Amino acid sequence: MKMIKLLWLSGITCNANTHSFLNYPFIEQFLNDFEFIYHPVLDSSYTLQEIVSNEIECDVLLIEGSISPEFQRADVSIEDIIRKYAPKVQKIVTVGTCATFGGIFSQSDYKDVTGLHFDKEQKNQKFENLFDKTISISGCPIHPEILVNTLYAIKGDIALRLDNFLRPKEFYAYTVHNGCVRNEYFEYKVDAHQFGELEGCMFYDHGCQAPFTHASCNKILWNEVNSKTRVGLPCFGCTEPTFPKANLFTTKKNMGVPENLPLGVGKRVYLTLAGITKAFKIPRLEKKLLDD
Amino acid sequence: MIKLIEKIEGEAKLNFSFKDEKIDFVTIEFMSTRNIENILKGKHALDALVINPRVCGICGHAHLIATVQALEDCYEDLKISNKAKIIRELTLNFELIQNHFKWFYLTLLPLFGHKQQVLKATYPSQLMAKAIALFGGQYPHTSYTIVGGVVCEPTEMDIIKLNHYIDETIRFFENNLVKTDSNSFLLSDKIDKFLEYEGDLITILQQIKEDDMLALGKSYDRFISFGENSYFKKAKSIKTKVNDSVSIEYVKESDIPSSFAKSVTFKENYYEVGPLARAMINKAALVKDSHRKYGDSIFSRILARVCETSQLLAHSKKLLERLDLSEPSYINPNVDISKINGSGTSAVEAARGSLIHKVELQNGIIQNYEIITPTQWNLSGGTKKKQGVSQKAMIGLSDTKTAELVFKTFDVCSVCTTH
Repeated sequence: MKMIKLLWLSGITCNANTHSFLNYPFIEQFLNDFEFIYHPVLDSSYTLQEIVSNEIECDVLLIEGSISPEFQRADVSIEDIIRKYAPKVQKIVTVGTCATFGGIFSQSDYKDVTGLHFDKEQKNQKFENLFDKTISISGCPIHPEILVNTLYAIKGDIALRLDNFLRPKEFYAYTVHNGCVRNEYFEYKVDAHQFGELEGCMFYDHGCQAPFTHASCNKILWNEVNSKTRVGLPCFGCTEPTFPKANLFTTKKNMGVPENLPLGVGKRVYLTLAGITKAFKIPRLEKKLLDD
Repeated sequence: MIKLIEKIEGEAKLNFSFKDEKIDFVTIEFMSTRNIENILKGKHALDALVINPRVCGICGHAHLIATVQALEDCYEDLKISNKAKIIRELTLNFELIQNHFKWFYLTLLPLFGHKQQVLKATYPSQLMAKAIALFGGQYPHTSYTIVGGVVCEPTEMDIIKLNHYIDETIRFFENNLVKTDSNSFLLSDKIDKFLEYEGDLITILQQIKEDDMLALGKSYDRFISFGENSYFKKAKSIKTKVNDSVSIEYVKESDIPSSFAKSVTFKENYYEVGPLARAMINKAALVKDSHRKYGDSIFSRILARVCETSQLLAHSKKLLERLDLSEPSYINPNVDISKINGSGTSAVEAARGSLIHKVELQNGIIQNYEIITPTQWNLSGGTKKKQGVSQKAMIGLSDTKTAELVFKTFDVCSVCTTH
């Protein structure tokens, strides 16, 4: 099979997607199947200087980091680099929440910082002609397996079903809540969560956004071992256009009801369910998990 | 002559001027900044725990630890369990270790004409990332340590798993970097004898010797370190003379006209930070012997970074023995952070050296935030009369390729510098 040529282009970024990618367990296999014409850390066929001053053949353009008309890489505007390579490549992948939605650095001092196609939820007109060839892998940072397997899907010509933000549904149709080991505390509304404990659900008081965040963090574990919510850290919704929201460790409530409810669950349904579950008393969930 | 230095977590421009075919002066320019300090203004204090790891994708965990300690410093009387302190120290160690492996196999090898060894970089660094994820849920970009402790409650099973990750990383080190058991390695105190071993580190060090590069990269021979924990000390070392009376109040940041990075000095002087500085302050025997013979050259700098990897692995094992799982992971602060008015400062040792955070809070809202990163120390740009540490290390070299090598022995992190 043909070696797929990748260009990894960095916008305004912290490089965490680059390093999260390096956590892919079968990286050697990956590097046998794909060639980086440029990567910000790995040896690549060309230097950045050569990439920006020539037109090198390339199949997939990977963009990490947010985009601003002011931002330059090797003295060339990031938008010009994108305009040069994007029409020629087969696919574009926005790698991470910054490249997809603007992310955290949309608050930086640069002018008009956005993702490639989205400014938070709003669709951008600027690169509209590239919309149909783009796949978004959101996340701050991306999960390495999700990026890598998407690239293999591109290589294998597999048609991916995408959501409205161009994210592959196979990874983003789930919520972070799916597979969380603290699920039962959520379901039965045992709302006494304390940090530093195996028990409890962070949704009720501590800002956890897992029930309304599209991602597979508890299905495809991080570093193959864990997830934030499993250890007791709230989900901050880092795959979503709204990341980062404010007051991330607190659940915003109106009259005692969380402002953001689980996806697809209306307030009335939520209150009815909460009423029923409150009637239960489940001793197993009231005590410490490992105690007698 | 301007040279674009690539693959340093971003890029920098070095502008060399030559006199008599030798580098006479060099300016260092970073071309961008994200101004994270501004992003933090007006935010809820705890949100800094989520924002600040995003300063850097390779050493963001150090920024997390620095953030939590700066916030805790705003309190007058905050209790943190020993257990939480140890866990924080462990995960920070793991991040340092993964950085050092990546630097050696991805950055350093190509500078000596070898191919990058991607798998040798990623295998141990993935193990260390797993070790962080055991406590933090994921790596990079966890925010698992919060004001009052850590959010996780590790079990005995987690510790068994963790020991496997550490042991496997130690084994990797022993099979690749220096082919001997870690105990004999850690006891080595004579550099000439040490070079009789085999391994990837030894290959590079021998190459430096054979290629007559032993004198390269010397700077002021002046070191400083502000982070304190069970392994690192707060002190400075002028040549080999260690003095522990250093205070952050004498650290000063100033603008560099040609660059987005800021210079940083201690009592108006530039200091080197990082593994060589820490080894000099800790009087690490092998590094000291190398320093005695070859000074603060690239030889000692490379040796120190790799030695620290092994030392931190061994120290982490010791720390784990002190971990008492029955202690609380988290102690609810007696005052809610939304009632806190005050300022806090922290210093931690990150992979590349001392990282300083300063925060001012009013009713738990961030009024001001300052970050001073390790690379700023080493890459501070001075004038011809008063050069920065890495500037001085490049003066007198005859070509820009060697200068790039010297520059990269400081393990430059562009994203941190342009926070």
